[in-house]
Amino acid sequence: MTATLEAPTVRTGPKPVEKPRKKSRLSKAFRSSAAILLFLAVWELAPQYLLDEGTRTFLPPLSEDLVALWELILNGQLADHLLASLGRSAAGFVIAVAVSVPLGLLIAWYRPLAEFLNPLLELARNTAALALLPVFTLLLGIGEVSKIALIVYACVWPVLLNTIAGVNTVDPLLVKAARSLGLSSPNLFRKVILPSAVPTIFTGIRMAAAYSILILIAAEMVGAKAGLGYLINNSQVNFQIQQMYAAIITVSVLGLAINAGFVALERRFSTWRVKEKA
Amino acid sequence: MTAKISLRSVTKTFDTLTALDDVSLDIEDGTFLSLVGPSGSGKSTLLDLLGGLAKPTSGEVLIDGKPVTGPGLDRGVVFQQYALFPWRTARANVEFGLEGGTLTKRQRAERAREFLDLVGLSGFEDHLPHQLSGGMKQRVAIARSLAYDPDVLLMDEPYAALDSQTRELLQEELRRIWKRTGKTIVFITHSIEEAVYLGQKVAVLTSRPGRLKDVVDIDLGDRSNDDLRSAPAFVAHRHRLWELLHDEIRRAA
Repeated sequence: MTATLEAPTVRTGPKPVEKPRKKSRLSKAFRSSAAILLFLAVWELAPQYLLDEGTRTFLPPLSEDLVALWELILNGQLADHLLASLGRSAAGFVIAVAVSVPLGLLIAWYRPLAEFLNPLLELARNTAALALLPVFTLLLGIGEVSKIALIVYACVWPVLLNTIAGVNTVDPLLVKAARSLGLSSPNLFRKVILPSAVPTIFTGIRMAAAYSILILIAAEMVGAKAGLGYLINNSQVNFQIQQMYAAIITVSVLGLAINAGFVALERRFSTWRVKEKA
Repeated sequence: MTAKISLRSVTKTFDTLTALDDVSLDIEDGTFLSLVGPSGSGKSTLLDLLGGLAKPTSGEVLIDGKPVTGPGLDRGVVFQQYALFPWRTARANVEFGLEGGTLTKRQRAERAREFLDLVGLSGFEDHLPHQLSGGMKQRVAIARSLAYDPDVLLMDEPYAALDSQTRELLQEELRRIWKRTGKTIVFITHSIEEAVYLGQKVAVLTSRPGRLKDVVDIDLGDRSNDDLRSAPAFVAHRHRLWELLHDEIRRAA
């Protein structure tokens, strides 16, 4: 007897929905940015029509800030500060990831070690990095080293803790299945535990990237000669208020862009996880 | 002739709990054996022992006359929850057990395609598990276990999570694959009907502690009957097993 098979039905990832019509896409784009547009409008109009002269000096309309931003772009100052900042945060971020992914894997693999260290890691993670800025300055001076060290410190924890969590939350059934196939421990680690931990590890990396910018700006307000944090602080001290806001806008956009980039990367690394639980 | 699988007075205890008590059973090469028992009768424990994932507290588990010392590619295990690697495509899942063997990359891919075809999944090689239905996932898992050509296939309630129609379809396919490959299959189920339909023999375990209550030979005669499950021979076997299990289920509940 030959068994005939039903044509197996398949659920493909995203449902083949009709292409959204142009109109609905436009209105969707509008709805998702309505709050921001409103905020920008208030920023522009309130100083012009509502605020008194004194306050207006400290909160100029958006258009004036954008003019200042444009000038900073044209005279090349913005690029200098941006590069100085990016160099520091990238250095700190890369060192942190390079150290904490292997360290996290090691700690997670030896479970007693993980149990031993976990309270300390939690304590360290919950100690605000900026609280330690004076300590870093005292120990490492006021220059680049202390700033990068501070970023390393801030970035290490999310990556380390997520790496440990990623390894520890591997589906035991997958481990059992791999064992039933006679896999050795090193192979089990490489072929089952590591790939299944990748999405969780990457979430930690994305968080670290965000921290690297957030912490840096604050660190640059103390004893720096360049960088966006320096630019903000210095502009304020020199009463270049529009320029200060221009630098703040740059920081916001930079943070958004970095996060968006990592979110996109993360999605690529974990296509299987997002839908697996559905 | 020595049996393919031989259990000799196998006992397995966990702390104070006795999961299996003095189970002795011989399974001939190429036999399809169904294993039924109430929950807590040690069915899965028995399968873990056969798979080498656990060791008996006392007694011996022999494959081809040699004691089982650990997992190995001479046995394939299929789990109820599929246990597919979600980041691997169907084909890469099937290749999993072949990696580290002697095959080249191309030969592995070829092999995987062949076995996905055997379970009726041609064209789905590049799908990730989350894109497949439950029945298809279990087909991939079966293909994965067959691909490295084990002599013995150990199946732990593989169809329990599937709807009844998919279930019947996969039962039919499994019998076809068994006939074609001549594997020795140990199939755990809590469904008497499934046990009778699939097995040449059905072993019945008692409720805790698990002892071997009986082994029933199944002979359904002419299997080409369209509605085999309603045939008198089928009904008679089912009733006999129901009687055997009835007291046990009551004791377990």
